Amino acid sequence: MAVDSKTLELRQLVNKKYKYIDRKWDAVFWITAAFVVGAAADITKQLFAGDWDFWTDWKDRQWWPIITPFAIIIIGSALQYIQWLAWRFPTGMTYTAVCMFLCTLIGRWLQWGAFVYYPMNFVWPATMVAAAIFADWVLLKTKSFVLTSVIGGILFAVTWWISNYIPMAPFLQPAQWMDRVVTVADVQGIEYVRSQTPEYLRIIESGSLRTFLGETQYVSLVFGATVAVAGYWVGQFIGRGLAIWPIGRFMKKW
Amino acid sequence: MTMRRRIRRVLWATIVAGALLVGSAPAASAHGERAQEAFLRMRTVAWIDTTFSRTTVRQGETFTITGTAKILDAWPTRLAAGNPNTGFMGIIAPGPVVLLKERTINGVSVPTRIDIRRGGIYEFSMTVAGRRPGRWHVHPSFSVKGAGTLLGPGEWITVEENPDGFTNDVQLVGGGTVNLENYQLTPVWIWLILTFLIGLAWMIYWTVPKRTVTNLAVTSQIPLNTDGMEYGLITKKDHRNMNWFVIGTILLLAVGWIWQSAAFPDKLPQQIIQFAPPEPAIASAPVLAEAGVGTARYDSASDTMTIETEITNRSQEPINLTQFTTTTLRWTTGSAAGPGTVQVAPDSTIEPGSAPTPVTLTIKDPAWEAEHLVPIGESQLLISGVMVFETADGQVNFTELEANLQPRFE
Repeated sequence: MAVDSKTLELRQLVNKKYKYIDRKWDAVFWITAAFVVGAAADITKQLFAGDWDFWTDWKDRQWWPIITPFAIIIIGSALQYIQWLAWRFPTGMTYTAVCMFLCTLIGRWLQWGAFVYYPMNFVWPATMVAAAIFADWVLLKTKSFVLTSVIGGILFAVTWWISNYIPMAPFLQPAQWMDRVVTVADVQGIEYVRSQTPEYLRIIESGSLRTFLGETQYVSLVFGATVAVAGYWVGQFIGRGLAIWPIGRFMKKW
Repeated sequence: MTMRRRIRRVLWATIVAGALLVGSAPAASAHGERAQEAFLRMRTVAWIDTTFSRTTVRQGETFTITGTAKILDAWPTRLAAGNPNTGFMGIIAPGPVVLLKERTINGVSVPTRIDIRRGGIYEFSMTVAGRRPGRWHVHPSFSVKGAGTLLGPGEWITVEENPDGFTNDVQLVGGGTVNLENYQLTPVWIWLILTFLIGLAWMIYWTVPKRTVTNLAVTSQIPLNTDGMEYGLITKKDHRNMNWFVIGTILLLAVGWIWQSAAFPDKLPQQIIQFAPPEPAIASAPVLAEAGVGTARYDSASDTMTIETEITNRSQEPINLTQFTTTTLRWTTGSAAGPGTVQVAPDSTIEPGSAPTPVTLTIKDPAWEAEHLVPIGESQLLISGVMVFETADGQVNFTELEANLQPRFE
């Protein structure tokens, strides 16, 4: 098949040796951006879904799968757009997940473990990595942000739930405590004192006459997937509007 | 001096000042209770006879905090819309240095929140275990939905290291006990690290063998909805390898799911427990006394609060005013002026009868100011609290007292 000159030119550009722009710049970029991306993702998660991520007794089957995927897909989506646009890498979501995991891990270990002595099995962070891989894979396959938002957003929310329900399962075992049967997570939540966080502030499933056949979890997953799609477009808005040069033009326009 | 040197000096001065400021700050040993407005602390929850059974325990050993908390009838209308209906009794401490092992309110176990009401009386007992070695300030607390957390009287608790080790065991319904200090910690970390490693491998695949920054020269010239395969940006091999990544992730999730299903077949959703504890005997006891709205005066020179009020003894026998308590403070009736004592004139014994008896309560205690309990400068000049009356045969009654503070502007 004949190849036009433009294609040839671009092929050469892909492999062109640059005198001043070597691989060090790649390393500098990826490493320095890791802190910013990790912090941005973690802060976004904490703003929207902090307590659900902090405590096992908040990690419930109704609110956790709705709030957290929405919160964590935002920065991942923005990064997905930027990294696909600039380098054609389907890595934005996974990069965000990896960076956020490292930031959260350090924060959780230092702030919650070393400084205020919470056992790590009570305050472990949720993982976003498996969900992110699916979202990046959908972008690679579809090459479309619209399709990624719909298919990837739904896959993201569902995979996120599966990948976090697995470590959560041991803490949902029934325990005998204070004349009641509660979960191990409930016991953690009361025994490990949380000053200024009275239990009634805990937003978890409390039952509703509108619950569909008692299947709270599946209804929440569907709704969580829907809001994850919305969150994806919040991230796209950030990526397309704020994070792409020239920022000044955007700021003036708005 | 050049501008550069000036800037450098200012920077150094700022760093040194900051270091001195931080370095000289004393360790915080309170929980912010004094920052709450005095009239709110006095009009919300009264703490009566709060007692700590021990002040020194080893890790794992327990002590109890007992007492009575009363939600005052004078509860402010601006808090919880004047209708406190959900409460939580807990512990305030610097983190989980102690563990709450058991909590009873009015004689029944209360794992979490309770229904409450204005005027409600809650006799509590909390069994607390030492966890982290050290000396910690511990308070009981009463949180009210829509209002916030009110602190009860605190105590310094010393937790000593247990040479036999420390575990925090909980009984599972399915049999056996688990140690909550490290239960399932290893599987959780293994899972989190495994998923992280997959993500890291994905990133290494794309960023180490491939160039990043220079790709912009190509991507800026091609449409967004293409993977640039014809130019060599993304190859068929990349697609194939990413499929393997996804298959690997699916397999990992499947293995994880099978593991949790097999290892933990019995699971519950987190529980919400809320009920109204039974009324204590004291709540249905006959009313012994009523107090009229009083007048309070505070003399800062002598740290003395004087409250004049009228008390009507509604019973058929003399009653004795034994105690006045407000927020975290308690004064027992006595004759010598000083901290912890309330002097009652003309007499702490009130005879029965329909006519009110004028009474003056005098409390000389620097705690009024130390605890920021004189509400001068606040939006309600009120002194509130609970008077504890007792009869000769041991009947006890709580009577609220509210007095308008007459400030003295010096």
